[in-house]
Amino acid sequence: MGKRSIYLETKDPIIKFALVEKVLDLARANSLWPLQFGLACCAIEMMSTAMARFDMDRFGAGIFRSTPRQADLMIVSGTVTKKMAPLLVTLYEQMPSPKWVLAMGNCAISGGPFVYEGQYNVVEGVDLLVPVDVYVPGCPPRPEGLLEGLMKLEEKITGTRRFPTPEKRW
Amino acid sequence: MKTLIEFYPVLIFLLVAIGFGVAPLIIAFLIAPRTRGEKTRNTYECGVEPFGGAWIRYSAVYYVYALIFIAFDVDVLYLFPLAVSYTRGGNAYEFYSLLVFIALLALAVIYAWGKGVFTWKRKIL
Amino acid sequence: MLENIRAALPGINISETSYPERGYHLAMDAGREQILKVVGFFDNNGFCLEDLCCVDYVDHLELVYFFNKHSEPYRVKVAVRLEPDKPAAPTISDIYAISHWYEREIHEFYGVYFENHPNLAYLFLHDGIDSYPLRKNMTKVPEEDKRLLGSSVYKESEDTFFVNLGPQHPSTHGVLRVIIKMDGEYILSSEPMLGYLHRMHEKMAENRNYAQFIPNPGRMDYLGALNFNLAYVETVEKLSGIAVPERALYIRTITCELNRIASHLLWIGAFLADLGGLTPFLYAFDDRENILDILEGVTGSRLTYSYFRFGGLYNDVDERFKDGARAFIQRMWKRLDIYDQLITKNVIFINRAKGVGILDRNMVRKFGCSGPVIRGSGIPFDMRKVEPYAAYSNTDFEIPVGANGDIMDRYLIRVREIETSLQIIGSALEKLPSGPFNAEKVPKILKPPKGDVYHTVESPRGQLGVYLVSDGSETPYRMRWRVPSYSNLMTFPYLAQGTLIADAIAILGSLDLVIPEIDR
Repeated sequence: MGKRSIYLETKDPIIKFALVEKVLDLARANSLWPLQFGLACCAIEMMSTAMARFDMDRFGAGIFRSTPRQADLMIVSGTVTKKMAPLLVTLYEQMPSPKWVLAMGNCAISGGPFVYEGQYNVVEGVDLLVPVDVYVPGCPPRPEGLLEGLMKLEEKITGTRRFPTPEKRW
Repeated sequence: MKTLIEFYPVLIFLLVAIGFGVAPLIIAFLIAPRTRGEKTRNTYECGVEPFGGAWIRYSAVYYVYALIFIAFDVDVLYLFPLAVSYTRGGNAYEFYSLLVFIALLALAVIYAWGKGVFTWKRKIL
Repeated sequence: MLENIRAALPGINISETSYPERGYHLAMDAGREQILKVVGFFDNNGFCLEDLCCVDYVDHLELVYFFNKHSEPYRVKVAVRLEPDKPAAPTISDIYAISHWYEREIHEFYGVYFENHPNLAYLFLHDGIDSYPLRKNMTKVPEEDKRLLGSSVYKESEDTFFVNLGPQHPSTHGVLRVIIKMDGEYILSSEPMLGYLHRMHEKMAENRNYAQFIPNPGRMDYLGALNFNLAYVETVEKLSGIAVPERALYIRTITCELNRIASHLLWIGAFLADLGGLTPFLYAFDDRENILDILEGVTGSRLTYSYFRFGGLYNDVDERFKDGARAFIQRMWKRLDIYDQLITKNVIFINRAKGVGILDRNMVRKFGCSGPVIRGSGIPFDMRKVEPYAAYSNTDFEIPVGANGDIMDRYLIRVREIETSLQIIGSALEKLPSGPFNAEKVPKILKPPKGDVYHTVESPRGQLGVYLVSDGSETPYRMRWRVPSYSNLMTFPYLAQGTLIADAIAILGSLDLVIPEIDR
């Protein structure tokens, strides 16, 4: 086992109008369905974000799908080890496009606190395996941080930020 | 020919139903992006390669479920024309013959019930 | 006891040690040929195998066995000396079932070959590793061993098929992979595969200061992070002889109990979600957010705390914490009625949980289970009562014990433990003394004296043990974590044999596993 590079062949759709694409992007951004991919501690914060207090469902992203065939957002929350890496790539390939990846937590961004000299089992960052769209730092990031990451992803998809930035209090 | 004209709404209904099902597929085929990876068409099994075959011999006990399915499904199928024709009459003879009909169809289900198909053993071995 | 042991095992060097300093009552040095006799003696006298680990002193390897009794605390450490190249030892996996996995782990990390072991395949590491990781000097894996370490081969027949309850699954509580051999809807045999989250905590401990390692235990079990912190900090304090002030002991107790309630609440939510009831999840997380607010005001984090320091705490608690804790206790007593009505009296839950997954007492001893799993089978073994630490000897509480050992008992024990924790917090808040919260004169770079020490703590999942070997320098020489989910998970193949797969998922949920602590 070890790393396996992804091989992805993307073709454009047959009919491509700007207006159709805009409407579709708005629809996709409003209902991102995450794939349940909680690996470690950040998974608990992801679950907290989906619960009653920091409701992720009001942004349309509340349904966590267990199968990649029905998901379009993969939230990698937790450390990716070398044993888990081929599985992550397989799951990414099995998601239908268009798909996005959100790297949540320090371990998914760059290996986190487990990188030391002579380490043998941690993949230093999930962007060595799959292309990442949004990085949410923290160990673990607060649920508000994950929601802000979701807003950034929606901004990336649609081009404009649709919810106002919360005003700073201090 | 006159009676055939009465069935034109059914034909339109059929065409619209087929169109309702097929149109999203065509639209999706036209405007969706296509991606293909190395493992995209594989069977999903939690990220790992599935091993072992799936074409195995199943236990003989599952044939009883096929029987019950037939009983329930064919029951309902026969009850449709029965329900349509029942409203036309009004004598007690029809009601009793309906009861006998349903009792005969229900015998299959009662046989399965008596055989213990609806209870599963919690632990073998 | 000591005389019995001396009489039954002549010719073995036995010495008594001081329990408050070392954490174990007896230390034995055995040779390789005497292992089977010693282990057989302990098995016949009702001891359970608490831990089996290996330490690499460069000129020899040492296998360390820890035995303990459930009825009274009597811990025995047996050390076996092996030579460094091609070390071999007889296996004890037919005497104690739990050592099957311990020996696999020692083989892949140190290269010790266990004779007559049924299956010495990889447990944690992946196939590309070519040296034994935990050895001090780089030792390459010899070629014939590489074939041995490959993954197991499964032979399928016409009637059965293999299903992966894979790493990416909503009910496996982390990245656990179970390979199940099924006949229709029934499970014939299952085998868990670990190592998908192996984050090298034990190797990191040898590369970090004592103070630099403090964030790591919280990541091992993120749900009961304060208990893991407590175990590490108390072990180092035991070794270095640092005395902790009273106020810090009480605050440690209060925060650990709050963490225990948070962990049990999340377990209730996740367990019911496995069974299909998605509503209690929301209620449990609502209560849990309350606790997290209280703890965040003091520690600064929501999930992976690093609150304790050697000799005390990082921060003192203020009135806001105390008021918040008292208000939470009032609120939680009323909320427990909701859980009672929603879950405990629910007909569907009772049908799914009663009489399923029964674990009897003898198997408990063979597997070395701990926590609600062992208390569900009727043995009142709780480290807070058996070997009290922090301020637990000053608070009185009852340990809930179950009768049958099925899933319903384990669930009820955890709910009663929430009530017990509320009582402990209430009484500890009353008795909270004033004073310093930190010991004075603790050096920044801590260098404990040479020696080894074993300390256990009751985490929400069971008995957590730390075995620390120090050589007088500023980094630990070997730190071994004995985690409760490891031995609890080992019972799963035994419990799930012959059950419906829906019941097997319920059993897996009721064991309350957190996979990062297994994979360490």
